[in-house]
Amino acid sequence: MGNTIELDQVSKAFDGKTVIDSLSAAFEDGEFVAILGPSGCGKSTMLNMIAGLERVSAGRILIGGAQVQDSPPKDRGCAMVFQNYALYPHMAVRDNIGYALKVAGVPKLERERRIVEAARIVELGDYLDRRPSALSGGQRQRVAIARAIVREPKVLLFDEPLSNLDAKLRHGMRMELSQLHRRIGATSIFVTHDQIEAMTLADRVMLLNAGRIEQFATPHDLYHRPATTFVAGFIGAPPMNLMAVEGDGATLCLPDGTVLAHHAHRGPVTLGIRPEKIATGRGALTAKLLYREDLGSHSSLLVRLPGGQTIQIASPFGTEIGALDEIRFDFPADQIHLFDQKTGHRADT
Amino acid sequence: MIETNGGINRTASIILIAGIIFILSPLAIALLVATQSYEDFVAAGGISLIPGRHLIDNIAHIALETNLPRQVLSSIIIATSVSAIKCAFAFTATFALVFFDCRWSKLIFALTIATVMLPLELIVVTTYQVVANVAMPFNWLVDLTGLGFLMERLGGVAPHLEWNLLDTYVGIAAPIATSSTSVFIYRQFFLSLPRDLPRAAAMDGAGPIRFLIDILLPLSKTPLIATFIFWFIGGWTSYLWPLVAASSSDMQPAIVGLSRLATSEQDRIPEVPMLMAGALFVSFLPVVLIAVMQRRIVKGLNLSEK
Ligand SMILES: Nc1ncnc2c1ncn2[C@@H]1O[C@H](COP(=O)(O)OP(=O)(O)O)[C@@H](O)[C@H]1O
Ligand SMILES: [Mg+2]
Repeated sequence: MGNTIELDQVSKAFDGKTVIDSLSAAFEDGEFVAILGPSGCGKSTMLNMIAGLERVSAGRILIGGAQVQDSPPKDRGCAMVFQNYALYPHMAVRDNIGYALKVAGVPKLERERRIVEAARIVELGDYLDRRPSALSGGQRQRVAIARAIVREPKVLLFDEPLSNLDAKLRHGMRMELSQLHRRIGATSIFVTHDQIEAMTLADRVMLLNAGRIEQFATPHDLYHRPATTFVAGFIGAPPMNLMAVEGDGATLCLPDGTVLAHHAHRGPVTLGIRPEKIATGRGALTAKLLYREDLGSHSSLLVRLPGGQTIQIASPFGTEIGALDEIRFDFPADQIHLFDQKTGHRADT
Repeated sequence: MIETNGGINRTASIILIAGIIFILSPLAIALLVATQSYEDFVAAGGISLIPGRHLIDNIAHIALETNLPRQVLSSIIIATSVSAIKCAFAFTATFALVFFDCRWSKLIFALTIATVMLPLELIVVTTYQVVANVAMPFNWLVDLTGLGFLMERLGGVAPHLEWNLLDTYVGIAAPIATSSTSVFIYRQFFLSLPRDLPRAAAMDGAGPIRFLIDILLPLSKTPLIATFIFWFIGGWTSYLWPLVAASSSDMQPAIVGLSRLATSEQDRIPEVPMLMAGALFVSFLPVVLIAVMQRRIVKGLNLSEK
């Protein structure tokens, strides 16, 4: 069985308000999964239910094949890294890391050995006798991680662990977390609202929206084959352009008749295309440039289509495009995504 | 810029000095009067501010000829118990209120705070009756349920328990050892702690009691010490209830003993210098305590983690 996690129709309601809605998913042994979603969508609630800090309202949670939804946290083999670290302020780093072992009654020598080992993994060896208040944000983060791994947990849970760090530190920590995961091999769940963290770290990403799974797939699929318009609009910066079009069996047209692309779809549909996949400088379509940002590597353009819709284009061309010109561009047929207008689900296969 | 600051500083200093004079003058008067002999005092025809030479004599008289030293010991025992009970109950009650999700916790907290409006002075007669026989509620219950009647029929005697706690330290301390104010103070402090702290402890396998002892108690050292000193002084200066509850001179706290000094003989001008010397004697310990601990008191009542 290994350290798999299964969620079987898990629901959670606070005072009658549903936060997680009959959610089912399976996490493989040793997998690194990111739970991604806008703030308030239920990510932390999800994580807390797996950890045992929050009871499920309905459904089953299985860790390593055993039902744990009614067990207390200590019997689930999970460890957690909290967003604000939640270190014990009055204890030295050593005691912070070793507290779980002390509670579990691990003998002092063995405890000390494991504390030193955990501290070594997160490169904290020199700080064992300091109080958390004498550490920087990044170092506190490391203590929190050491505290989690010292018990050799089956499952490692992270609740937005990097969101309190500055951008540079976050990047470094991301790399370290990735290496740490490879080294420890525990099944890891990483909650974040930052898509870059999710996309770079995780084997698979569970994109949550209002307590439901929008898509649970590899970062590659999330980007290249978004399952819903929500995913399309959430992943990518800037996100995918979405516009309502009408298919006549050969072309996809805007309501004003402008032909955007060639496709065999019939009937109304939502067309999606990523800003960076729009071919510029040539093509059958023209639009008025409203605003441009030159980012060196590429330009970010905001243009208005003849029908009045505005779309984002990321163009590799920089200064070649004149100040406020008409832009020529094209939607390559293989870069088009189609979504059902009513359900928002992917319509092309 | 600099001139304005100077102006503000000068004004602030003047206000502070005025405040200090206002607060210290009664103490200064007490100290001055305590240095005079009874004869000086009577001769002056009232309180005069001329320092005398009898401070040592007066204090020695208090220490050797009156029961005040014994009563100071009573005060220490009573004030310590009052303060310790207050802190312990308030701490555990607040722990339950803050860290356990309960639908009623807001209501319970409101009720707790509402007891501030029920000072002991208001219910002193009832309290006296209860302390005079702590088993009273039990007797009442036995009567109410008809159990007493039943047992009288069967065994011939109705159960009636007597347990008098008047004139004991427990009886004097317990009724004044409730403190909803501490609940309020501790609650504010607990709420200022990182929200995930109890969760982190739960992940580390610590149950509620372990969390209370290993994490919460050490973190709360500052507010605990501050409130302890605060209530110690409160217990030290409490007057009405000890006056009612303690009948023997030995059990009376020093404050009550002090008031007895004033009324030793009728038709005689009170021995005000001796009284003032007694006041100095009685307030010596609390003053030292505050002087030594004042930084901790201020820190602890700041209601924050640091
Ligand atoms: N203890 C709680 N009581 C009531 N509502 C809660 C509680 N915890 C979370 N919620 C609600 O559940 C929703 C999801 O919260 P959360 O899981 O923390 O979101 P996220 O971590 O995705 O930002 C939010 O609307 C929040 O207000
Ligand atoms: Mg959250």
